[in-house]
Amino acid sequence: MTTETTTIETMFAGGRMAQRVPPRSSRAADRRRARVGLLFISPWLIGFFAFFVYPFLATLYYSFTNFGGVGAAKWVGLANYEALFRDPLFKTSVFNTFYYTAIELPVATASALGLALLLNMNVKGRAIYRTIFYIPSIVPLVASSLIFVWMFNPVSGIVNDLLSGLHIPGPEWFFSITWSKPSFILLGLWGLGQPMVIYLAGLQGVPKDMYEVANLDGAGPWQRLRYVTLPMISPVILFNVILQLVACISYFTQAQVIEGTDIGGPGTSTWFYVQYLYEQAFQFLKFGYSSAMAFLLFVVSAAIMVVLFKSSSRWIYYASEQQ
Amino acid sequence: MPANNNRLGLKAAGTISKHAVLIAVSVLLGFPIFWMVLSSLKTNTQALQIPVVWWPHPFLWKNYPDMLSAVPFYRFILNTLMYAGVTIVGVCLSSSLVAYGFSRVRWRGRDLLFQVMVSTLLVPFFATLIPLFVIYKDLHMVGWYWPLMVPTFLGSSVFSTFLLRQFFMTIPQSLSDAARVDGANEFYIYSRIVLPLAKPAMATVILFQFIYCWNDFIGPLVYINNQVWFPLSLGLNLILGTYSTNWPWVMAAATAATAPIIILFFFTQRTFIQGIAVQGTGVKG
Repeated sequence: MTTETTTIETMFAGGRMAQRVPPRSSRAADRRRARVGLLFISPWLIGFFAFFVYPFLATLYYSFTNFGGVGAAKWVGLANYEALFRDPLFKTSVFNTFYYTAIELPVATASALGLALLLNMNVKGRAIYRTIFYIPSIVPLVASSLIFVWMFNPVSGIVNDLLSGLHIPGPEWFFSITWSKPSFILLGLWGLGQPMVIYLAGLQGVPKDMYEVANLDGAGPWQRLRYVTLPMISPVILFNVILQLVACISYFTQAQVIEGTDIGGPGTSTWFYVQYLYEQAFQFLKFGYSSAMAFLLFVVSAAIMVVLFKSSSRWIYYASEQQ
Repeated sequence: MPANNNRLGLKAAGTISKHAVLIAVSVLLGFPIFWMVLSSLKTNTQALQIPVVWWPHPFLWKNYPDMLSAVPFYRFILNTLMYAGVTIVGVCLSSSLVAYGFSRVRWRGRDLLFQVMVSTLLVPFFATLIPLFVIYKDLHMVGWYWPLMVPTFLGSSVFSTFLLRQFFMTIPQSLSDAARVDGANEFYIYSRIVLPLAKPAMATVILFQFIYCWNDFIGPLVYINNQVWFPLSLGLNLILGTYSTNWPWVMAAATAATAPIIILFFFTQRTFIQGIAVQGTGVKG
């Protein structure tokens, strides 16, 4: 790793990387280099204004209007936000998304880390196991949703068949109001390949001698995990938690596909935030109303990220800072 | 020596139990795919029978040609390949240029802007969607892949840019300096020196973009409304809607959509897994 390589998690953590001091040179040369640099990044710069800055401002503006996508937007002040907080379906979608995130995020993090720890064991054939563990996450989301609805279908599904073999009456899974969200959580756990591989890379980056020292101090496996492994990979944990969180907040595809089947998504029990936003915008063409939802989505996810970063300095260990 | 024997025995027991755990998890994770393939080879009656029929008898391979001729599956694949092809060109061009500006040239504000770029990864797709949709609609671009293609030419694939930047940083700066002394301009260095050295990283970017397009559901759902232009993901959803009473067909379609990507994964595993590791840890694995 060269000194110039900056890890993505230090980027996220708000510029903790060492600021490079450019070699002394004339101001003309500085300006020339800045021009060249900006020229190279200009495609992204244009994209940034077109796809982030403008839409952000426009979403905020639309959220104060009554707008159907054509014609002029009519200013209505805070009416959309007031309506949102009176809308029971909005509350349901917020609750469902919160429920899913609150369970999926910790469980998925622990599972992905667990899988990586298994793959990090010193046994033959690790590459084969890694391949098998990874494959579920390249299955297209539509396909994996279909597989799960089919396997968990309450009448002729293989899961309830196996459960009845153990004399356990299986629930109705995606078809039941109480079990539909846990079913989605199970589906989410089948496809943790990406965080798993990232954790594995993090684990392999922990220096071996740290474990030897811990062993000499009489640390058991649990203590080695708690006091060596977890602190050493904490930046990777932050990275994965953030990506997983974005995915949870914008949970959409699986719910949309499964609600399209005749055996999934009863009532509003699996009505997620972004789905409601999508429906309001593209089925009812209530662009103002859905913009208010989009803006809240932005504010809430930004707030969560800020809290995560602020708190991260307390639980993240950066090896390079200790020098 | 008995003590030594004992230790060897313990070690063997440890190895066996490790494999036992790994195999158990493999079976659990592999089962849904196995079940998808088995289900795709059953008759509809067998598929719905209780208690569950595990092994199809006989293997009904006919489900595949039947399903393929009942829906424009090849058309869906062709659309997906076109979507992937164009956006791969866009990503390779724009991400490599942007990555070069963020790594091979030193200028004030570079690292700050880079942080801004990385943080856009955290903006949910739906948070910016509505105004973009309105613009594309006004430009008459909705209904075809334009809204999904144009951004890739403007550095929208942040992961690709990040990956390429990490790779560019490992190329010795002395190569560029030598070329500058010889009077080469930056674009020459980018196109003739850095890019040829970055072929492995480019391969990773192409692979990821391909898989992204193959799986993308939300983008096409919002912008593509004519079935003729459906990509595979929407096509699969359509098959589900049309043949939801014929699960073997649905599973055959799911298998047909999954198999190519798994085969591709088998051949490109190293590139693939290394690429993900770089994204997560910033270090070339």
